[in-house]
Amino acid sequence: MKWLRNLLDQIAPHFEKDGKLEKFGPVFEATDTIFFSTDERTESGPHIRDSIDIKRVMILVVIALIPCYIFGAINVGYQKSLTFGYQATWMENLSTGAIAIIPIIVVTFMSGAFWELLFGIVRKHPISEGFLVTCALIPLTLPPSIPLWQVAVATSFGIVIGKEIFGGVGMNIFNPALMARAFLYFTYPVDISGDKVWALAPDGYSGPTALSIAAGQKNADAVGLLNDASSDLVFDYSWVNMFFGWIPGSIGETNKIIIILGATFLILVGITSWRVMAGSVLGLFAMGYLMNLFSPYSSNAMLSIPPHYHLVMGSFLFGTVFMATEPVTGAHTDTGRWIFGFLVGVLTVIIRSINPAYPEGIMLAILLMNAFAPLIDYFIVQSNIKKRMVRYAQ
Amino acid sequence: MKNIVIKKGHDIRMSGLPTNNSISDFHSSSVSLLPNQFRGVKPKLMVSEGDKVKVGQALFFDKTKPDVKWPSPANGFVKEIKFGPRRVIEKIEIAIEGKETLKHGTLSKEQIKSSNKDTILGHILNANLFPLIRQRPFNKVADPNCDPRDIFISGYNSAPLAVDIHPILERNKEAFQLGLTALSKLTSGEVFLTLKEAIDFEDVQVQTIAGPHPSGNVGIQIHHIKPLKPNEVIWTMNAQHVITLGRLFESGIYDPKIIVSIGGSGADKPDFAKALMGTKIESFLDNQSSNKPVRIISGDVLTGHTVERHDFIGFYDSSITIIDDKVDRPFLGMLSPGSSKTKYSLTNTFLTLTNTFFNFTTSQNGEKRAMVPINAWEKVLPMDILPNPLYRAILAQDVEEMEQLGIWECDDEDFALCSFACPSKIDVGKVIRDGLDLLEQEG
Repeated sequence: MKWLRNLLDQIAPHFEKDGKLEKFGPVFEATDTIFFSTDERTESGPHIRDSIDIKRVMILVVIALIPCYIFGAINVGYQKSLTFGYQATWMENLSTGAIAIIPIIVVTFMSGAFWELLFGIVRKHPISEGFLVTCALIPLTLPPSIPLWQVAVATSFGIVIGKEIFGGVGMNIFNPALMARAFLYFTYPVDISGDKVWALAPDGYSGPTALSIAAGQKNADAVGLLNDASSDLVFDYSWVNMFFGWIPGSIGETNKIIIILGATFLILVGITSWRVMAGSVLGLFAMGYLMNLFSPYSSNAMLSIPPHYHLVMGSFLFGTVFMATEPVTGAHTDTGRWIFGFLVGVLTVIIRSINPAYPEGIMLAILLMNAFAPLIDYFIVQSNIKKRMVRYAQ
Repeated sequence: MKNIVIKKGHDIRMSGLPTNNSISDFHSSSVSLLPNQFRGVKPKLMVSEGDKVKVGQALFFDKTKPDVKWPSPANGFVKEIKFGPRRVIEKIEIAIEGKETLKHGTLSKEQIKSSNKDTILGHILNANLFPLIRQRPFNKVADPNCDPRDIFISGYNSAPLAVDIHPILERNKEAFQLGLTALSKLTSGEVFLTLKEAIDFEDVQVQTIAGPHPSGNVGIQIHHIKPLKPNEVIWTMNAQHVITLGRLFESGIYDPKIIVSIGGSGADKPDFAKALMGTKIESFLDNQSSNKPVRIISGDVLTGHTVERHDFIGFYDSSITIIDDKVDRPFLGMLSPGSSKTKYSLTNTFLTLTNTFFNFTTSQNGEKRAMVPINAWEKVLPMDILPNPLYRAILAQDVEEMEQLGIWECDDEDFALCSFACPSKIDVGKVIRDGLDLLEQEG
């Protein structure tokens, strides 16, 4: 790779101060440091530094997402074979899915990179590697059948309004990937609100998703409805099948095993908070159980969904593991992270059950909690201050 | 006796640890005091170029506290006084000749015990040794006119490649005890001595502390023993300087020799040296080859200052760290799994599973970024302080909130590990120092 190093060194002077292409300095810096680790040295004490940097943190999240992409592609192909009613091998399913997914990924990264570079150049801030994660997350939250122009518009919204107008990675209030998703949700509700299955299906095909089966139904048992649907439809909405992800849905959300493996990986390398994840699952179970207790007194069938079904339905786990744990937009204190996660779980169940107009609740729950995260931290900080003030007064 | 156990923190496994037990004697042709390294001091010269000076003779004093004078570490003549911009005194260099020492009276332990505070304080001020005592908050030279709540001595140096103080204390038990007894007269409170392994001393509260760095930092010890409150003042002193103080009472002279460690990835022969305070860096490097590019640091690698060969070791420093200054640029470094040879991280983001000693370089290992809170700071800060809100309060220059979040108890050296561990490469320690400066200004 010496030739590349030499090439970069050769063109470097143009991008430095007073060079011809000084404006594009951030672009050059980003390219240079993506290929070769930086040669920046410490200025003063501490003269030595840990090997970890933000690039490494971000790239590891992207690596954790790769299995979701692979399974997502296979599943997209599999769902297509189900709706069209043909038999296909794994490889065929994978290639069918890849053909559907790769354009979405390409469009996401292209529009994401465009805005990130533009803002880097105009605002003169370094190109942040955070957009890699944002752009890696967006396609996974989308249905395989989405029009590509919607992908481009949503990514632009997520990067610009979700992140850049606040000053870039580290200063944003809301998770940019979820902002992109929420944008689509509210601007094109017919396509993407999630009450109809997302699959590469024949024209005019429609079927309910697991979450929308019980929504709107009166005086019925949700598990019974799911079982009935499984025998009527080509999709199998049993708990085990939903856990292993052979159901229609957004590209990355379906297989819970892979998501749990991703979570384990991220916790083991120590870059995401297990407290948020644990809190969220706990919140989901607590609220789900509470809803079950109310279920006999209500005609709303959604109340009767058992907590362990909530866990595998929709994109709860995907959101919990990859979205709620985003360190910048979540709570910044450990106690705060427990509360933040717990409330994400609670709100997910409330939105799912009480408001059938929104079949999926995790996205809105996380965005809502993003807005409240500073408030949670405020109370944690105040309690720390109060403790100190008591000690000072002694 | 209390035993304090600290869990948070990290002992950096750094190569270049001095292992030999012998201590070489290093001789320097000149020594120096660097007046502008003392925080908040307005130095006024008491000597001029060419003057003859004896060991312990005052070289300059502080205009704001005229009683506080700085002693010459050697006998000889003033070779050079270097002024910086706006006539800041940067350096007073003494060329060494002969061994004449100013002689003061001696005091036995019993005599110290029966004296009052003014006698002891007067003795220390007279001998020009008062600058050895520093105060918290702000970690600056103490004010002799104030009555400190307590005095804290750390007898454990947990910083990377630092001198092990324990054997030094054992060897100099009497002088150290005398110093402690003298200190106990200076405060109406207690003298707290914190050690790694207990040794019996009188007139002090002995505590032991266990755990990784920064457990040896006096600021951390104060926090765990008796935290500092606003408007309180605590005095601190390096353990080796307590021996120096003891010597003054024992034999009436200023003994400016301390034990210094020389180590780091760039040091060929890590070593211990007995040297004068303010010795020229060059004389420590006699045994080290100078072929490869290295950075020389006066002090430990976390909090020390970059120096050149012709500079001098800092007044309070007892180590010289030499690290490689050549930074590699591995191809696709952010994707490579890494190994214990190439990466060193407190996280598990690289496959660094073995506990070998690491060859650190001056590489920052990444670019500066906005803060991404993944708990890197919290894991290495053994204090009941929320570093992240404190950092933001300082950036916002909100003095009231800084105080509420406990900045009075903080010092930049206690946050050095946070800067080391930070993935965004933020210099947390420097921000803490800025906050302390702001706090001091606002009074």
